[in-house]
Amino acid sequence: MSALVEAIDLTKRYGDFVALDRVSLAIASDELVSIVGPNGAGKTTLVNLLTGLLPPTSGQVRFKGEDIAGIGPVMLAKRGMARAFQLVHIFPELSVAQTLAVAVVSQTSKALRFFTAVADDAAVNSRVREVAAIFGLDGKLRTPARLLSQGEKKLLDIASAFALSPEVILLDEPTSGVSSADKHGLMRNVVDAARRAGVRAIILVEHDMDLVAEYSTRIVAIQAGQILADRAPADFFSDPEIVAAIVGKRPARFGQGAS
Amino acid sequence: MKIAAVLVAFVAVAALPRVLSPYHVTLVLPALAYSIALLGFNLLFGYTGLLSFGHALFVAIGGYGAAVLSSKLGLRSFEAILLLSAAAAVAVAIPIGLLAVRYVKIFFGILTLAFGMLFHSFLFKFYDLTGGDTGIRVLRPSLLGRAYEDLDKTTWLVGPFYYYCVGLLAVLAFVMWRLVHSPFGLHLVATRENRRKAEYLGVRVRFFRLIAFSISAFYGAIGGAILAVNTGQADPELAYWTHSGELVFMTVLGGFGNFFGPIVGAFSFIFLKDQLVGLTQYWRFWLGAILILIVVLFPRGLSGLVERMWARLHRSTPS
Amino acid sequence: MTAFLDVVLGGVFHAAVLFLVAAGLQLVFGVQKIVNLACGSFYALGAYFGISAVSWCLAHGMAPALFLPVLLVAGLVAGLIGPFIEALLLTVYHRDEAFQLLLTFALVLMFQDVLRFFWGADPQQLGDLVMTYGRVKVGALQVPTYNLLVIGASVAIAAGLGAFLQKTRFGRILRATAENREMSLAMGVNVRWVYASVFTLGTMLGTVGGALVVPTAAASLDMPVELVVEAFAVVVIGGLGSMRGALAGALVVGLLRAAAISWYSELEMLAIYLVVIGVLVVRPGGLFGRPLE
Repeated sequence: MSALVEAIDLTKRYGDFVALDRVSLAIASDELVSIVGPNGAGKTTLVNLLTGLLPPTSGQVRFKGEDIAGIGPVMLAKRGMARAFQLVHIFPELSVAQTLAVAVVSQTSKALRFFTAVADDAAVNSRVREVAAIFGLDGKLRTPARLLSQGEKKLLDIASAFALSPEVILLDEPTSGVSSADKHGLMRNVVDAARRAGVRAIILVEHDMDLVAEYSTRIVAIQAGQILADRAPADFFSDPEIVAAIVGKRPARFGQGAS
Repeated sequence: MKIAAVLVAFVAVAALPRVLSPYHVTLVLPALAYSIALLGFNLLFGYTGLLSFGHALFVAIGGYGAAVLSSKLGLRSFEAILLLSAAAAVAVAIPIGLLAVRYVKIFFGILTLAFGMLFHSFLFKFYDLTGGDTGIRVLRPSLLGRAYEDLDKTTWLVGPFYYYCVGLLAVLAFVMWRLVHSPFGLHLVATRENRRKAEYLGVRVRFFRLIAFSISAFYGAIGGAILAVNTGQADPELAYWTHSGELVFMTVLGGFGNFFGPIVGAFSFIFLKDQLVGLTQYWRFWLGAILILIVVLFPRGLSGLVERMWARLHRSTPS
Repeated sequence: MTAFLDVVLGGVFHAAVLFLVAAGLQLVFGVQKIVNLACGSFYALGAYFGISAVSWCLAHGMAPALFLPVLLVAGLVAGLIGPFIEALLLTVYHRDEAFQLLLTFALVLMFQDVLRFFWGADPQQLGDLVMTYGRVKVGALQVPTYNLLVIGASVAIAAGLGAFLQKTRFGRILRATAENREMSLAMGVNVRWVYASVFTLGTMLGTVGGALVVPTAAASLDMPVELVVEAFAVVVIGGLGSMRGALAGALVVGLLRAAAISWYSELEMLAIYLVVIGVLVVRPGGLFGRPLE
């Protein structure tokens, strides 16, 4: 099984402080890998390394077999990995359609076209409508992003990452700020959308263990800069030590009592 | 509806020499020049979100380009002069841009101000090359190959030259319109709205800012060349930072959030200044006061006002 | 050697005055994030006001030797327009930086004519008054004592400002508000009042600088627009928002200018701009500032 995203002996040091210590990890097609762990454990650093935002002190990061250490967000998008953030980022004055079009234009390498009108580009517009529909935003195509509700802004943020037609998408706490009632709905939407959009793997950073238990194919727990565990959910939650270290209680899905 | 308004305005401007006295028509010429320069400036400011306090640098390059090419090198074709001056401006813009687009907001403004003043200093001090504070003469160029030698200066200015500039503005405005509505334009606006997010959506922020900067230089130089031909002289004041400030003033007066804002601003400013200068010797004071009023009360400028009134009109009448 | 000393002393004198204006700029930027294009106008106001004050006092029988304190007081009084300007700037605090710049640019335009209205278009000066304090022998040079007094005053003010910011309660409040406005508000700091005071202090530094320079130079209507470029060179080289930067930048610009004038006068401002650009390439945040992007 060839890995889509690979971390090989990744170490990141800030002076004397070791944020990540020889972390190795591989993510293959059709996986949804959740990265969990307490704050300050090194999740953010790992994610920044996996998405080429930071160069590692030692070790390698690979995407589709190619080294992506420190390549930066623009090149990352070009190679086929997208990232959606915890804090909502929008283009306040751009409409939903325009926001999605920004991503589609990048992905189809049309950005250096100076004289054609975006509004007249049928290919771009149909892709925009497609992605908007997946996330239920097709009724608000012309609404400026700043006028959307908080939940809609969140959807738009994730949708725009999808509009890049990425092969791998990294979701950074996608349900934070979303009410408990809506969390599962959002996750289901996103996972379905990913499958339909041809996304090959999802990396999820989450605190909500119920969601993690429900949707992951694999869970990677980070503690103090090292990998504590890298297992399928059933294995993960049946190990009392891991559960104690990372979770408060075992999520409902895996019931109480002996494994 | 908008297209109709634009066409009407265009025809009106083209018809001005028939209606106004030559004095007033010679006022419109700088307005045309500034309109072109500001279309370029606003690509950078309104669309890309970068405020340059050194745009006058490119206007000055255009002016001195016209001066040097016509009086020192004997080149008379206005088309050649425009192209060469604009090319020179772009050549200067690229290294400056490579440095400047790393910065945003106030640093970009200060850096561009510094480069503008660097050029001013050079123009002012190197008398042998640049004519010092007197500057260099600009000789009458030929338009599309025709020299119109039989016409005296004023007749030429309010006649062939005027129509030429109106045509030039129309062509350049059309090009800019296509530019801002293109995928490139969309990416520029994305960088203005949220630089980080734009990068994550694959927008090449620095590269595109550099391109926008270069295009603004191109337009600035053409405006400068027209200005210099109009006055017959290119002098260092073209590059002074307060001239850059006036360019920003004009753009905000007209409204930087609107494509036609800068053109409205250029025309309004020229006529406003003309009226004020005629009324009082303390016209700078009133100009400053008006700028304060706009900044505080009407930040979207004159075109913003028109848009608001238009919207109110549409709301009050049943559709 | 003498020529060198001449350049150094001239440069340090110029730096002393520039420092005052730059310190004012840094204070205002550091705390309020406002870049004041009208700093040159305040400088000129101080200069003109100083001349008028001294001329009036002399005409009413003051001893010439008292002109320095009169200048200082005149500078401080001229700085009292600070609160009014700050109140105007209030209207654009929460908006895009571009509007702040434009507002201060509008002030530059207005000040040009205000100065012209009250003092006319011709440059004004105090003639030989600077010689009242005589000269001092430094090496083989005869340097006006006044120049050394101004350098001394500037150093004293620099030290005073430093102590004020580091050691006094108000200074700490200023630094806190500069770091984090919301936090300061939450801790009960009257941020409005802090802003008004800082801006006034910044203005006064500029007006006092202008007042102090007039015995050695004429006050003219070119001052407001010309000083801005030099002052900005200082803060960019030194680093926006840093007091140490203001000191370092002022020294660099002052000495560079003196050297350029003395050796190759065409290069005067050119050399300064080249250094500005050079510094920005190598250290984007200036010598003491933090890089921004």
